[in-house]
This record gives sequence, C-alpha cells and structure tokens, in this order.
Amino acid sequence: MIRRTLTIEVFRFNPQTPDIKPYMETYTVKEVPNMTLFVALNTIREEQDPSLMFDFVCRAAICGSCAMLVNGRPRLACKTLTKTLPSHIKLLPLPVFKLIGDLSVDTGTWFRHLNLKTQAWIHTDKTFDPKAIEERMDNETALKIYEAERCIECGCCVAGCATANIRDDFLGAAGLNKIARFMVDPRDKRSDQNFFEVIGTDEGVFGCMGLMACDDNCPQELPLQMQLAFVRRRMAMTGIFGGK
Amino acid sequence: MLLQKLIGRNQRLDAYLDVAEFLSGLFLVGFLWTHMLFVATIIFGTKIFNKVPAILDATYISYVGIFMVIIVILLHMLVAGRKIPANLQDQLIIWRHARRLSQKDTWTWVFQVVTGISILILASIHIWAILSGWPINAQISAGRVQETFFWFYMLFLVVCEYHAGIGIYRIAVKWGWIHRQKVGKVLTVITCSIVILGLAALLIFRFVIKAGGAP
Repeated sequence: MIRRTLTIEVFRFNPQTPDIKPYMETYTVKEVPNMTLFVALNTIREEQDPSLMFDFVCRAAICGSCAMLVNGRPRLACKTLTKTLPSHIKLLPLPVFKLIGDLSVDTGTWFRHLNLKTQAWIHTDKTFDPKAIEERMDNETALKIYEAERCIECGCCVAGCATANIRDDFLGAAGLNKIARFMVDPRDKRSDQNFFEVIGTDEGVFGCMGLMACDDNCPQELPLQMQLAFVRRRMAMTGIFGGK
Repeated sequence: MLLQKLIGRNQRLDAYLDVAEFLSGLFLVGFLWTHMLFVATIIFGTKIFNKVPAILDATYISYVGIFMVIIVILLHMLVAGRKIPANLQDQLIIWRHARRLSQKDTWTWVFQVVTGISILILASIHIWAILSGWPINAQISAGRVQETFFWFYMLFLVVCEYHAGIGIYRIAVKWGWIHRQKVGKVLTVITCSIVILGLAALLIFRFVIKAGGAP
C-alpha cells in the first residue's frame, strides 16, 4: 500500500491574543497504518508546532475530550481513523462551546450547567441504609438506564444541532437523553410535572426540530431519535393533560 | 428568575405550539394526499372525476373544507414558521451550519423552509384560480391547465409533495416509535407514487381532455 501524505488544515485562534484573527494553518503528515486523528495531531504537535492546542485524555473514546469538527462533522479525534477520511482534512473546534484556543473548547462548563439545570441526580426521600440489601430493579429498566448512561458528554450532538447553534439556552440531545434516563428510573421520585417545568419549553424538548444531526453524529451511537421522541411524547402529554 | 419571565408567562405555551404544529401538519398532509387521489380520478375518465366535486358540493364538504384548509394553512404557517430564525445573523449561522455539516436531515429542513414559503404564494394563486373558476369539473380544469397553468401546476405538485413528504417524515421522527430510515423509505415510496399520479393527471388534462365549460 502506498502511504498517503495527509494535508491537515487546522483552525487557529487564541482568545488571549484577539489581535491575531482566526486563520487556517496547513500541516502535512505521513499516514501510518491504523493512524487516528489523535496520532496525527500529536505528531504535528511533537514534530512541527508545539503551540497547537487540542484536548485529549483517554484516547479510547471514553472521556469525550477530543471532539472536533472533522471535515465539518462532529467526531472524536481518537475514534476517527485517518483511512476513513480523504487526504485533505479540515479541522475546526466544536461550535456552541466556549473556545479555549485552536481545537480546544470548554465543554465542562456547558455540561455542568446542564447537570445543575436538569438536577441530574436521583431525587428520593428514602434515607440510604448502607447495610440493607440493594433494591432490585427489573432488567429491562436497568438496560434502558444503562443505554442512556453511555453518554460520554463529548458535545458532538450539541455541536451538530441547528437549534443549539442559534439558541444558547437549548439543552440539546445530551440534556434530554439525561432527562429520559431519570424518567425511566423508578428510584427517582420526580413527577412528570417536575420534569415539565425544566424541559417543557423551547429551551428543552420543544426546541428540538428533529433534524437528527445528534442521532447521526453520536460517537456512542446512542438511540437519540427514540430518546427525544420518548421525552417529547411524555412532555406533550404532561403539557396538555397535566400529567401525573 | 427574571421578572418578565416570572409574570404572565404561560409555561405550557411551547407544548401547545409544538402539538399544534404536529396536528396542523398531519391534517394538511392528510388533505393533500386525499386531494391528489381525487384529482387522479381523471385517469378513469371525466365522468368519475366530475362525480367527486359533485358529491363534495352536495354534502357541503367543499365549502366547509376549503375554508378550513385555508385556516389550517395559516395556522401551520405561524406555528411551524416559528422555528425559522427571525434575524439574518441566525439565518446565516444555520446556512453555514448546514453547509459544513452536509447532513441530509438538516438540508431537508432548510428546503422545508424554502418550500413552505413558496407554498404560501403558490397555494394562494391556486385557491384564487379555483374559486374564481368555480365549480370544479374536468372541462374547466383542462381549460386552466391548457391555457396558462401547466408549468405552474408541475412546480406546485412537486413543491407541495416534497413539503408534505418531508413534513410527515419529521412528524414521525419527532413523535414516533419507528426508526427513521424505515419511515423515510416508506414515505419516499408514497411521495413518489403521488407525484406520479399527479403528473399523470396533469398530462391527461393537458393533452387528452377537451377544454370547455364555464370560464
């Protein structure tokens, strides 16, 4: 196999030096077998440009730090093999999130706000007894919860979302998926009315226009279409008939 | 909490609007598909075609129906159109976003906005033409198509069926239980079939039926 030379165009901007306007910088890298964008970017940083900013932690599609726009689409750099891409690759930071510099964005603040806003923890009046045997949950419910919990909060769904791009208060698929998770959890004592107060508006589920870029671009392949529809049906029923 | 959001804010409004968008869209798709099936009866001859408006007239369905459809179209314009960004900056963000992402469903939504606005204009012309040439029968319709409206109806057919097809797909995606790839395939078949029926009807009006009757 002939090794390709990859031309990687990277968005450069540092908010600390706003006088230097955003620009695209081009690097060339020799492709190696099984190369991921993570490897390619590290090669650039080590051998060509130590000032290049981008985020990584786990390099195994678990931490969700390395999400960026790869040829326009939100992808995890560590999960994207260069052989799946053309030899000209354009990298931009995720939109919606605060830009730290170059390809690095702050998803943490956004997700912290989300978790506080949706109060993403089990609301129960039971006191925890560490000695008691754990309460059982039927397997189907547990699997549904685990499925939603696989979200790594990388922000790909939010970056791909048209609504999130123009409404900075929109909770996005990540937020609504999280709500869906608590809706099915029998330990959570919040009523549908409680959920409705948080997500029963255009900031929440009714802001979703169903363009499904979240569903198409989720690196974890979460069933976001189903999750969003589930929340929408439930919240519409609550809004119109008052709910439980 | 902000005062303006605390006082007089209807917490349920967004839910009502979304349901109104869904119901009005569903009604209009139902209407459009039935309408096209009625028009396509011309394939079986002028007698059968002429019976349809006669029955609708006799039962007063056409009088109530046309009025109702106009109202629902206006309602749908308001509730579905509320999602179109009002300012140019946001419209440009959506445009750039769609181009960058090049994802099918985002593009179809952009076209949905374009076709929606087109339908407002085209449907107004259509309704005006029909009402000013009342009643409906094959001879009058043929006259209309043969004189001026052939290309207008070609465009109107495709734009409407596209908007309806994508619209009902979006409803299914937003509210339904079935995976959207399956829904998309079924709706593509339905939409193509209706476009073909519509084209057949148009060609029959253009080349087969003898024009005449009241203007």
